[in-house]
Amino acid sequence: MENESISKELVEALKSFETKTKQVPAGYFDQFEMDIMQKINAAGQAPKRAPIVAVFLDHKQYLVAASLIFAIATGLLFFNTAEKNNAAVAKVEMIQIETLPDELIEAYVNNNELVAEVEWNTVIETEAASLSDNN
Amino acid sequence: MTDQALITQFQNGDSKEAAFTQLVKSHQTQVYYQIKKMVLEHADADDIAQAVWIKVWNKLDGFKQESAFSTWLFRIAYNETLNFIAQKKRLTAHHSQKELDHSLEHPSGHDGLKESTIQIKLERAIAELPEKQRFVFMLRYYDDFDYEKIASITGTTVGGAKANYHQAVKKMTTLLQTS
Repeated sequence: MENESISKELVEALKSFETKTKQVPAGYFDQFEMDIMQKINAAGQAPKRAPIVAVFLDHKQYLVAASLIFAIATGLLFFNTAEKNNAAVAKVEMIQIETLPDELIEAYVNNNELVAEVEWNTVIETEAASLSDNN
Repeated sequence: MTDQALITQFQNGDSKEAAFTQLVKSHQTQVYYQIKKMVLEHADADDIAQAVWIKVWNKLDGFKQESAFSTWLFRIAYNETLNFIAQKKRLTAHHSQKELDHSLEHPSGHDGLKESTIQIKLERAIAELPEKQRFVFMLRYYDDFDYEKIASITGTTVGGAKANYHQAVKKMTTLLQTS
């Protein structure tokens, strides 16, 4: 038998090791199966989660990773779309100004110059009136 | 009633709880003691044993009885124990070693100085064995399981199980003599 190769000292130590491991609280085994059944029944009464939810809740790291990936992907998508739109608008505006007839542009400038002159005159007159009042 | 009959009763849904309770009663002490020899603390052994039996309840419907129930049961116990030890190792890397060192320096106990020192040395030797060797040794030495069953439980070959047993004996003998 292979146990014959074990030294006497080891055999003695293993004997007392076994005695030590067999020490359990009084009545532990009488109560054990009831404790187990209570736990099983309690788990059975707990509301069941949908499998996909359960997977995520049992492995929260996946939930965090998925959230991060979603946030990064959404960000990239948003910024790319915004840049493309801005470029498109700028291009359209350039094309529109270039295609305007010269007469239209000149009329626009003249009208706005008049408006600007009228505004400046009004400001100067107002300031002059207030200066003369003060004097 | 045999394990086989109880499992069939469970799988047929006829008084599941009664069949399961009977299985627990038949095997609880052997499973608990095996786990306790691995983790030493009652609270830890109790936690693992409960996890094992809850797993058995959840998986028993799919158990095909291709192996003996006790082999399947001990395989679950083996895996649960290894998971527990791995988790605990991460939490308390050097704690148990320090406690053992302290105990060696200040031996105490009702069986006298010599015996408690040998006991502590043995516990240290056992703690230093790789988990697989420890599990194989306990199953073979204390429960007298044959190597085929041990190999099936620990997912190794018969030769591997034999080698694990003999290496465990050799290491424990050396550690008892030198430490």
